[in-house]
Amino acid sequence: MSAAVATDPSATLAVRARGVRKVFGTGALAYEALRGVDFDVAQGEFMMLVGPSGSGKTTLLSILGCVLTATAGEVSLFGERIDTRKERDLPLIRRALVGFVFQGHNLIASLSAVDNVRLVLEARGTPRRQSRAEAEELLARVGLADKRWNRPGELSGGQRQRVAIARAVAGAPPLVLADEPTAALDAHAGLEATELLLEVCRERGSTVVVVTHDNRIYHLADRIVHIEDGHIIDAPQETP
Amino acid sequence: MKAPDVQTRLRAARGGRLTRGFATTILAVRMMLFDKAKFIGTVLGVVFAVVLANQQLGILFGLLQKNTMLVDNAGADLWIVPPNTTSAAPGQRMSTQLLYQAQQTPGIAHASALVMAGTSIAKPGGGSEAITLIGVDLETMLGGPWNIVAGDRANLRHVDTLFFEDAQRDKFGGINLWSVREVGGYRVRVGGFTWGLQPFGPPYTFASLDTARTLVGMPTDQLNFVLVTLAPGADRAAVIAALRTAIPTADVISREDFHSLIVRNLLKDQLGVSFGTSTSFGLIIGFIIVALSMFSSVIDNLREFGTLKAIGLTNLDLTRMLMVQSVLYAAIGSLIGLGLVGFMAAGISSANLAVIVPHWLVLLTPCVMTGLCMLASLLALRRVRKLEPGMVFR
Repeated sequence: MSAAVATDPSATLAVRARGVRKVFGTGALAYEALRGVDFDVAQGEFMMLVGPSGSGKTTLLSILGCVLTATAGEVSLFGERIDTRKERDLPLIRRALVGFVFQGHNLIASLSAVDNVRLVLEARGTPRRQSRAEAEELLARVGLADKRWNRPGELSGGQRQRVAIARAVAGAPPLVLADEPTAALDAHAGLEATELLLEVCRERGSTVVVVTHDNRIYHLADRIVHIEDGHIIDAPQETP
Repeated sequence: MKAPDVQTRLRAARGGRLTRGFATTILAVRMMLFDKAKFIGTVLGVVFAVVLANQQLGILFGLLQKNTMLVDNAGADLWIVPPNTTSAAPGQRMSTQLLYQAQQTPGIAHASALVMAGTSIAKPGGGSEAITLIGVDLETMLGGPWNIVAGDRANLRHVDTLFFEDAQRDKFGGINLWSVREVGGYRVRVGGFTWGLQPFGPPYTFASLDTARTLVGMPTDQLNFVLVTLAPGADRAAVIAALRTAIPTADVISREDFHSLIVRNLLKDQLGVSFGTSTSFGLIIGFIIVALSMFSSVIDNLREFGTLKAIGLTNLDLTRMLMVQSVLYAAIGSLIGLGLVGFMAAGISSANLAVIVPHWLVLLTPCVMTGLCMLASLLALRRVRKLEPGMVFR
């Protein structure tokens, strides 16, 4: 079953996946996490991928984020085939095209908020002076101007996730992938963080795929795609 | 929605290696300093290795120097020694005929006899202390004394005058300049003092050839060594060959070769094994501490390393980070360690025990420690390289 784009058929696709399979392990221990997934995301779309635990949503997100390779199938990001790329090329694609928001924020504990954001920019080759200005601007945008020199350990959970959002959108990556961004937050902070993610990604024109099972944020999605047992199980649906 | 220029982005991300390298270097330093306990533990591991290895080597070099100092400071270019001699110590006697034969050899400036024998100095309150008496030719002064801290060499011209070791003054019964003592049953006077001339055995005591022979009961036609200086422009190899032909009953050896022979002979026995073992242990323990600390640091920060991979850092970037940390651990540990070794060497060095840390060892230490720390980081590096960036989503 496929989840093709319904919003604007003429839009260039940010993500195009066809027949994607992922098998972990071999022989009797082999486990098929994705069983031929067809999946499209339009550019600029804010899409949520939902499903129960073990459904394959994080595996699919990992393949889209080039941190995992598919066993079979075709995957393209902005028209660039990534499934044919060698594994050693994948860090380059991640640096160039993808921003990540992780479930547990995954900030570097030894770096201040501003340095966490700068690291992503400088990994992409942004000069140091420019990276600092951009990082400070982003932290101001997520409401953490006065906390920019604080380390993650000195920030609340919500503040840490804001830093993670600033880091994910630093350098305006065309694709932002978020894995359960509300999991470590209370309801209010979770909603606020997702709204913030939506806003800053819209401002920068980034396409966003959010993996979640938090139905309190479903209403923010342009589209919700359900995945279960490694299959996309329903037709795309538009949210109001 | 305008499509992003993927190729431009890929090109841009492919560049900027310098910026990325700088950023990862700073990150490596911050990660290293963040866990202060681990940082201090690792540095202490390096310090331990540096101190133990340098202290042991320093004492070893000190001991070697004690055994070669006569050869190094005698002022001779060549030594004529009894066959199979492996040290500059009292031993087999040779005929003074050898001295005359040496003096006839072309290319020689001077050839002087050296007498060396063990005897003792009687203390006023009873008892005696062993000394190594060296009799030197007063014309050439080949063989000493050197490191003179009191008295004049010319005092040795007095028939009963000796130079003693300054550090042994109390042990010899509180001697001063012109004190009178008994050596080998003869009354002698103290004409001067040297400092630090204590080999493995009893301290060196200097006298004229005649006085020395008298004190140890050696006939005037005997000697222990012949010390030779080359005439200006003489071909050393040719002179050695000529001496060997002229004096087949003795060994002819250059100062440098005699020095090496003594060192080799000492190292091949227990001295080398003993100090080699303790030095190696220091390095091995330092290696283990650094390896375990760096590995445990990587394990503790596995998620952070996974995150770094996920945001696009390569294995090469992460390798650079660990190498930067290795170099810093080595540099900081070496600096502190060498400082401590310097203090220790100054504190424990005496006329009896010399701790010698040569300049080359000071320069070599950070290099060895860098290599050691890099080697120690391989375990951590292996773990980091195998790390799947996808682990950050689990």
